[in-house]
Amino acid sequence: MNPTRLIFASLVAMVMAVPALAAENAAPVSASQLASQLSALRQDGSSYVRLRMEIKGGKAETLQLQIKQRLTRGSSEVMYQVLFPKERKGESVLLKRSAKGGASGASFTPPNSMRQISDLKEPLFGSDLSYEDVIDNFYGWPQQAIVGTEEVEGVNCQVLESKPGKGDRSSYGSVKSWVDMRRMVPLRVEKYSESGKLVHRIDTTRVVSDAGHSIPANLSVRGPHENSTTLLDGSRIRHDVNFTDADLSAEGMKTIAIPHGAAE
Amino acid sequence: MTFLSIVSRGLMRRPVRTGLTMIGIAIGIAAVVALVGMSRGFQTSWTNGLKTRGTDIVVSNMGSALTPKPFAATQADKIKSLPHVAAICTLMVDLISVEKADMMIVSARQWGGFSWGNLKIVSGRLPKDEKEKAVVLGQTAADVLKKKVGDTLQLETDELQVVGIVDGGAIVENGSVILSLSLYQEITGNDGKINVIDLRMTPGTTKEEAAELTERINSLVPEAKAVSAGDNIRNSQGYRIINAMSWGTSLLAVLVGVLGVMNTMLMTVFERRQEICILLAVGWRRGRVVRMILWESALLGFLGGIGGVVLGVIGVKILITAPAIKGLLEPDLNAVLLAQAVVISVVVGVISGLYPGWRSSRLMPSQALHG
Repeated sequence: MNPTRLIFASLVAMVMAVPALAAENAAPVSASQLASQLSALRQDGSSYVRLRMEIKGGKAETLQLQIKQRLTRGSSEVMYQVLFPKERKGESVLLKRSAKGGASGASFTPPNSMRQISDLKEPLFGSDLSYEDVIDNFYGWPQQAIVGTEEVEGVNCQVLESKPGKGDRSSYGSVKSWVDMRRMVPLRVEKYSESGKLVHRIDTTRVVSDAGHSIPANLSVRGPHENSTTLLDGSRIRHDVNFTDADLSAEGMKTIAIPHGAAE
Repeated sequence: MTFLSIVSRGLMRRPVRTGLTMIGIAIGIAAVVALVGMSRGFQTSWTNGLKTRGTDIVVSNMGSALTPKPFAATQADKIKSLPHVAAICTLMVDLISVEKADMMIVSARQWGGFSWGNLKIVSGRLPKDEKEKAVVLGQTAADVLKKKVGDTLQLETDELQVVGIVDGGAIVENGSVILSLSLYQEITGNDGKINVIDLRMTPGTTKEEAAELTERINSLVPEAKAVSAGDNIRNSQGYRIINAMSWGTSLLAVLVGVLGVMNTMLMTVFERRQEICILLAVGWRRGRVVRMILWESALLGFLGGIGGVVLGVIGVKILITAPAIKGLLEPDLNAVLLAQAVVISVVVGVISGLYPGWRSSRLMPSQALHG
């Protein structure tokens, strides 16, 4: 064989071999199995998270937040609290969802303004995320389907489409997740309205290893407003934190405290 | 006309193509200089920080993260009475986002420990005691956070007073938020936890005694690993991954450079077929023709390498002003790395010229007649 052709053929063979080897590693799973695995990873019990939220475009702002959450199969309780900037310190949002699918929430603004959240589509601290985005677990919805495979940032992903059932009170018509099957992490999530319009796009920009699992550490959220992006950078996570009911209550919202002694 | 002037004339025949190929190599070499210089710089900065603190041995658990995992502070008690240990200082070192800054080093130190000793006060003072809700900032950290003495700093849930700006003598120290260990343990909820023990050996400790001491520590504290200050960051999986990725990305860029040079040299051989055949006809040996092609490609590599080094150094200088890394590391652009980059470039040039050289050596003098 002509040496030029030999070199070229070898390069082509090397390039072709890489995706082929990667494809061999992925074991086939059904849509419901995949959704159930992702849901189980999300509902990882009690945890404490420290997060930096940067809102770009519109009213640009950087917030430091802490999240206290109890996520189980039966219910979800999530509390977001602002630590920085100084003038917003103490603002809190508490969201709860029961096993039956009903979600409710309250927000607190210091010194003593407490209000019930009537519309879960309202933005969380003025970001591109809504309260609904925080409390929804679309991997728990009844309709799950794998609608294809696609590459995201060079990683081959399964595209999982989730649709709410009749009992799930969601403002979204469907949610698509591009799931990296090796790390079991959604690298992209797109949320569509009932009319099929893209409302939110969430990209995972950094994945870290935590307690033997891969978790998204940095996210970029776009939509529903044009020219606005919210960046979320996770800096600390603690598992098996012992939260009392009082910690995740209206009274608990009024206190900015860090849980002690949990595993990091 | 000398051999070298033939070589340089060969390259100047198509100045645009030669220039573009050189730019291709230069970009590859610039990637080597920038990425490897930055990752080595991280190691150097960290090591300098430890040296400035007067640390000989570091006890920590450098897993896959860039900061070590926490372990019980009581482990330090097992170490301090060992032979050749002059002093220890327990720390909690974190890499977290503070206020608007992306990533800051937070260095919480045992009150009264020797790691406070290297801090020279530029303005203000050190905290009065370990419970005072106060921090001191390295000069670069103060710059990045836009703070001066008297301002407050939000760290986790607490608002702390900036009581001093310090010069720590190393970029890592100057890029740090420094406070007492017990205060940081309290505000982060890490009661009784540390993640680093700095250890200073007694003067005159030999290498063998130091090695024996690290072995003793490793058997006494299985949760962490004792290594000499210089090896500390090299021991981190996170650092090793960054280093491997730097070299991997650089080599990919260099591979593109190889293909570019090979293409240019092949074109040169094809275009100068008649000239090469005449050289063979007038008595040049085939080996000399091959040498001519290799010299041309090596020269191309050398010039591209010089351009790449200049480009890489400028790129790094611009990169380190980025807010995300300002104050976190100083690039290690030492002469050895720059020379290595040029050597890599010349080797790339020579390797790329091998095939075109071989093709040129197969030409027959009679082919000159075919035009």
